[in-house]
Amino acid sequence: MIIEILNLIFIFFTSVITIYLIRHYVFTLTVLRRSKTNKASNTNPNLSYEPTVSILIPAHNEENVIGKLLDKMTQLSYPKNKLEVIMVDDASSDNTGKIAEEYTKLYKFIKVLHRDSRIGGKGKASALNAGFKHSTGEIVLCFDADYLPHSDIVIKLVEKFVDPNVGAVQGRPVVLNEPHNMVTRLIALERIGGYRVDQEARDVLGLIPQFGGTVGGFRRSILESLGGFDESMLTEDTDLTFQVYLAGYKIRYVGDAECYEEAVDTWKAYWRQRHRWARGHMQVCFKHAFNVLRSKKMKLKEKIDGLLILHIYFMPILTLLSFFTGSLLILNGSSIAGALWFTVPVSFYSFVGNYAPFFEVGVGAYLDGRRRIQWLTPLLIFAFLYNMLICTKAFFDVLAGKLVGSTKSDWEKTEHSGNGNRYI
Amino acid sequence: MKTLNRIASLIFLEAIILCLIASFRLINLQSTVTLLIFNILFVSLIFQLNGSVLKKIFMLTAGNIIGLFWNLIFYYFSLAGYDYFGVAFNAFYTLIYPILNLMWIVPFWSLSLGFLPKQQEAIRQAKD
Repeated sequence: MIIEILNLIFIFFTSVITIYLIRHYVFTLTVLRRSKTNKASNTNPNLSYEPTVSILIPAHNEENVIGKLLDKMTQLSYPKNKLEVIMVDDASSDNTGKIAEEYTKLYKFIKVLHRDSRIGGKGKASALNAGFKHSTGEIVLCFDADYLPHSDIVIKLVEKFVDPNVGAVQGRPVVLNEPHNMVTRLIALERIGGYRVDQEARDVLGLIPQFGGTVGGFRRSILESLGGFDESMLTEDTDLTFQVYLAGYKIRYVGDAECYEEAVDTWKAYWRQRHRWARGHMQVCFKHAFNVLRSKKMKLKEKIDGLLILHIYFMPILTLLSFFTGSLLILNGSSIAGALWFTVPVSFYSFVGNYAPFFEVGVGAYLDGRRRIQWLTPLLIFAFLYNMLICTKAFFDVLAGKLVGSTKSDWEKTEHSGNGNRYI
Repeated sequence: MKTLNRIASLIFLEAIILCLIASFRLINLQSTVTLLIFNILFVSLIFQLNGSVLKKIFMLTAGNIIGLFWNLIFYYFSLAGYDYFGVAFNAFYTLIYPILNLMWIVPFWSLSLGFLPKQQEAIRQAKD
């Protein structure tokens, strides 16, 4: 009896894994077909859509990187009379605020909002809300402090808002410090799989490209109607993604709006960052899964993709459970488990943030014109095993938070050393 | 040159078919299915990338030959294991079988992509 139940559970697990594998196979095929038509640039040079734009930069102890970003802000090609940059110095104890103040003296369109530890320091969503209240632009873009955008990024991101159904846009982060070490190289590979293939395919197929909280933006009216960012969410970006779709709008991905980021460069920092993402994503899943199912404004394909996105950080846990269930069944001589077993190890060669399997990551790297980084694809297995632990811990933390009823939010900041600047 | 390419392609295709038959006759159905999955992935994805068809067929053939010998070696390894450890080894081998195969499929996949001309180069050549 127990074996039969375990067989059913294992069939369910492997079916879910197979659905994800098929999804990513379709994504890879879609992007390959699109690359043949060579749509290198999405930008329409004849379009003269120039709404007012506010750029929010939440920063908490970012003295190592903030100067470089503000430098890049001064080089943006968007008309300065339609642009404002609001740097939210959120309870920083270092020189972040002072560095930003220097820029406000030189450039009128750059403003600094200082929040001391009494009102600030409550996390990125809280800092973004504070900046949002002070902003005036029709379109609001967000950049993390360690990001370095191209000068035409605002033009590229903003032009998608010509379509009134577009509620938010997302650009493409590219890892700046990729050659630093193995961690940064693997993150670069992950970003390639995630953005070059995954996000682009979702955009092309009319599914749900995710708003990533940085290198992207949203329509002011939408966030106002939503009441701002939900400060109880650790990943306010994923939360906003689903809020936008539930409100009947869509998100567009702009692949050629590239922006360089400094990736974490130690396994410890990787754990910290991914743990926050996993916890946040799971929070959003608990918050929106049923709303997505019940939504009358979302199409069926958006609902299916939405549910698959919401459950992505549960997949390493499901894979771990499949591994143990399958092993037990095979050792007991189950032929069904033997036949379905191959799906479990295949998913070991995937990235966690988007569950992109090895073939998708490899093709993404190729389409990006990369040669050597794709040789690291076999190492995906180590990152996945590491993420199994991260996601399992995050799951128990979320459960504990649910039981205790904790909604406390805080900066779970990724340390930026500024070492990425060496690779500019 | 075209005729030579066609002949070479036919020889490579024949080699792939022989590998599939050999895997079924000399090893087991599992190994044939593994090679088939590899072929489907390779043909549907890598064949859409830049580079000559002959080069791609050559790489596909190389993959099939590697896969065949890899599976053959581990098949004999499993037979030896069965002789020493009995039935329990069969269950263990079933568990590690896909992992062993991914150990050649994933590196071969990533290396194959490296042999193709770069996307940007191909675009530049097309423009010229």
